[in-house]
Parts: sequence; structure tokens; C-alpha cells
Amino acid sequence: MLPERKSLVLDEHAAAALFRDGMTIAIGGFINSSHPMALVRQLIRRGIKNLTVVGAASGGLDLDLLIAAGCVKKLVTTYMGGEHYCPVAPFFRIAAQRGELDIFECDEGMFYCALRAAAQRLPSTPWKAGIGTSFPEINPEIKLYNDPVSGEPMLAIPAIKPDLAIIYAAHSDAFGNVQHIGTGFGDRAMWRAADKTIAQVERIIPNEEVRKNPLTTSLVGVDAVVRAPYGSHPFAAPGYYIEDAGHIREYVDAGNAFAKKGDRGPINAYLEKYILKPKTHEDYLETIGIRRLISLHEY
Amino acid sequence: MAGNTTLAKDFTIKELLATFVSRQVRDGERVAVGAGLHVPRAGILLAHLTRCPNVRLYVVMTFTSLLKEPRMEPFYTVYDYRPAKWAEGFILHDDFQEDPRLVSDTFVVGGLQIDKFGNSNLIGVGKDYKHLDFRGPGAVGTLSMAHYVDRYYLFVQSHDKRIFVDKCDFISTVGWGQGGADGRSKLGIPGSGPVYCITPLCIMDFDETSKRMRLKSVHPGVTVPQVVDNTGFELLIPKDVPVTEGPTEEELRTLRERIDIEGMLRK
Repeated sequence: MLPERKSLVLDEHAAAALFRDGMTIAIGGFINSSHPMALVRQLIRRGIKNLTVVGAASGGLDLDLLIAAGCVKKLVTTYMGGEHYCPVAPFFRIAAQRGELDIFECDEGMFYCALRAAAQRLPSTPWKAGIGTSFPEINPEIKLYNDPVSGEPMLAIPAIKPDLAIIYAAHSDAFGNVQHIGTGFGDRAMWRAADKTIAQVERIIPNEEVRKNPLTTSLVGVDAVVRAPYGSHPFAAPGYYIEDAGHIREYVDAGNAFAKKGDRGPINAYLEKYILKPKTHEDYLETIGIRRLISLHEY
Repeated sequence: MAGNTTLAKDFTIKELLATFVSRQVRDGERVAVGAGLHVPRAGILLAHLTRCPNVRLYVVMTFTSLLKEPRMEPFYTVYDYRPAKWAEGFILHDDFQEDPRLVSDTFVVGGLQIDKFGNSNLIGVGKDYKHLDFRGPGAVGTLSMAHYVDRYYLFVQSHDKRIFVDKCDFISTVGWGQGGADGRSKLGIPGSGPVYCITPLCIMDFDETSKRMRLKSVHPGVTVPQVVDNTGFELLIPKDVPVTEGPTEEELRTLRERIDIEGMLRK
């Protein structure tokens, strides 16, 4: 018998079986777009704890949800808000103010330095922006040093190596050739840095389709592919749907009830309704409802 | 500029601010259009449509020219995919380190706090970093962009003593550091720093020698004492403080009919 190329397609449960307490996990996307939410919800359902979460360069409410659900020990990102939906992510804000969250304080330049160092198997990457700021003071992992060539002061940004990256993209074939629609934000940097990458995609397309536009292939070879239509909901998915403003507001309201009044009732109800009660991504989509989903078109 | 250069009579403060921003743009530059802030967004687009046909706009992570767009469909977020229909190309977000100047020659930086030397803070307010009184959203890309760009602008949506403080609790973006004309160069920072601080009350610039913040102009209806009373540090006040110049009839028409079609600047 001739050898067959192996399919890398996993269902969401088989993919979630790779999650471990205490792992360093990178989550792709950007603010309110392109997060692998079917897998994020599986992290919460499985009660995964003590994660070091490397959020998107500019993170968002996907990370706030993980903080609300008690999954996060340490956070690496540059921004925690929801743009016009909320200036500062509510559970992040309270956890940070109480000193309950270990934060790797950085900006976008530093963030990509940390991933680049990991990809290049280097202990750190030099970066200049940040000299004269509070960053080396409030993030003791960032070290000030003098460049051995010029003598000028520099910052060493330590490598951050994710054990696993989970990213959202429009398409992949069964063999892990991933094609984003749009720029793909910083997902490539996560893929280069991480030991393993799972791509959660809107559609699994034939290999022939990939070969029609090989320059569109953004990640050449991930470790597993999970199909989850509407899988970035409530966030946007370029080429497929816009964010669900009503759902995001529902989450922010639940967050504000906690942040402003200390009331965990609304977020507990949110977690129960949208994450713990639905056992699968299909159950989740049924909870959201087809009318709501198909109203989120881009045109 | 073609069209009616008579100064308009009826405009909002946001329209005046957008006009001020537009006059900072130079033709041929690369200019990042932050989607979330309506005023700088409208100002940059106004410059593009009136004086600067050759700017390369960085819109929602793509580069484009919008000169031939009769009316701007609104884009309010930096992740909205729909403006990608205009894209001529893009620079990947994770190529940030290659050269931030490829993204933009100028930038707009906000702040929870801004001090008298134009240093700003998006990290949080409080003395103890582990127990802040108010945790901010974080620095996003502001410090790296402000480090490398040719020049940048501080922009805030309110003007009070909570924002304008003698000393920031934390510095996320360096303005003029500890002050002085060499405040940046002695730290080895290449860009030429903050030029103006733009607020709903006034425009401020920096004294050439001390690099302390100085009042440049007040907006129509605003008095100098009103600015002083709402600023938490000693602001330099020159002898003559003019009123900030508003839009021309032509600029106002372009703003209302082609850029701000939803009227966000009129609310």
C-alpha cells in the first residue's frame, strides 16, 4: 500500500486534551478580532488553572474572560481593554489592583522581542524603546545593560516560549497549511515561538485550494487543526463576520457589576449559560442562536 | 488649498481639534490612523483630502490612499476588517521591530497622566505598582512608536488635574524625560519627541530650552485662568496667548460631508 499523508484534524475535545495546568499558552488575534474562542471556552470548561497566558500583542476580553474564570496566573500582553466597549478590561483591572495577577508589563515592541527571542532560541532580544520609562522598574524580568559594541544603555527583553499557541484563522487544509484572511495580526510570531500550535479555523479547505494561492499560506504547518464555524464569536472574524456588539456588552456589564459593586452574580450566570452548560462548540452556537449569528455579516 | 479659505463661524471644539491635527500632517509622510479616537482620525483624513494627497495612510493594519473616496465609511476600531477593501498592501504587526518608521512618521499618544515634560502614563495610577488605585489598559504600542517616529502628539479627551500632574506615577512613554533640550538625546532616543499636547481646552507646546510644557493657544470661549486652574503643574504662560484657529469653510465642509458623515465630532 502507498503511504498516505496524515490528517492533522482534531475535534475540539481531542485538541483540548493537550491543555495542562501551569502551561504557557499563546492566544492569537487582536483586541476584538480573531480569537480561537471555541478552544478558549474549552480551557475554561476543563478548569485549567495557573496558566501563563501570552495574549495577543494587544489583548482583549478573551483574556479577561480567562481571568474571570480563574484560569490565569500570569499575563503577557500590552493592552487589556475592549476599545469602545470598555476602556480597561474589568476582571483584569480588579485582579491587577489587588495584586492577584502576575503581569509581564511590556509594549508591542517588547512583546514581539520576547517571542522572537524564543523563536531564535536566544535568552533575550535587545530593544531600545523603554529607556527612560518605568518598564525596567516594574518588570524585573526586563534587564538594563550597556551594549558591548556601542556602550549605550539597552534593554534585554527575555525570551517567552509558549508550550502551546492556539490561533484563529479563516482556513486550513487537513495538513495544517493555514491561510488567514486579512493580515493575521501577530499570529505568525506566536507560531514561530511556540513548541506546538493548534489552528482553530472557520473552514477546512481541500489541499488543492491551498495550492491555488500558496502565497496566502500564513502558517506553513501547524500541529493540529480544529474546525469551528463561528468559532471567534463573540469577536470578529475577517472575511466572515463582525463582532457581536450585544454579546460583548453583556459580558462588559457582567464585568462592571463585579468591578464596580463586587457582585459576581452576573459573571457566574454568564459562565454557566455560555460556557459550562454548553458542552461543545455546537451547543454554544445553539445557545447564541442562528438568527443572531447570521446577523453578524460584514456588508 | 482650493476652495473657500474664509474661516468658518460655527463649529464644535472637536471639529476645531480635528482641524488642528490636520495641520500637523506633512504631504508624503506615512501616517498611522488610529481608529478609536475620532478627532485624530478625522484630522488626518482631513489633511489627506485637502493638502496631503501623497500621504500613505496606515489604516487598520493596511496601507492605502483614500483620496478618491467620496465619503468615508466609518471605521472605529483597529481590528475592523472592512477597511481592508482599500488596502494597497500591509506591514505585518509582528514585523514591528524591523522598523517602526515604516508604519508611521507621526503618532498620537494618550495618557491617564501627563507631566510637565510631556512624559505620559497608561500603566496605572497609584504609588504601589502591585496595588494600584486604578489599573490602566497598558502601553499598547505607544512607547516603541513614540521612541522611533519623527514626532508625536499628546492627545487627551479631558483636561483636569488628575491627568496633568507634576510627576507621573509611572512613565510608559518618554516625552522630554527630566527636561532640557537634550532630555531625549542623552537617553539615546532617536525621535524628536512630543510637539504639542492637544486638549479640549487648549493647545500646549514645549519651551525650547527647558522643554517644560507651555500654553500655546486657548480654544474659543476658554480663558487662561481656566486652563491654569485645571492643570496640576506650573504651566509656562507666554505674554500673548492667541485663540486656537478654527477650520475654514472648505475644511469644515470636507469634514462634515466626506469624513465625519455620522456626526461624531458634532456630538
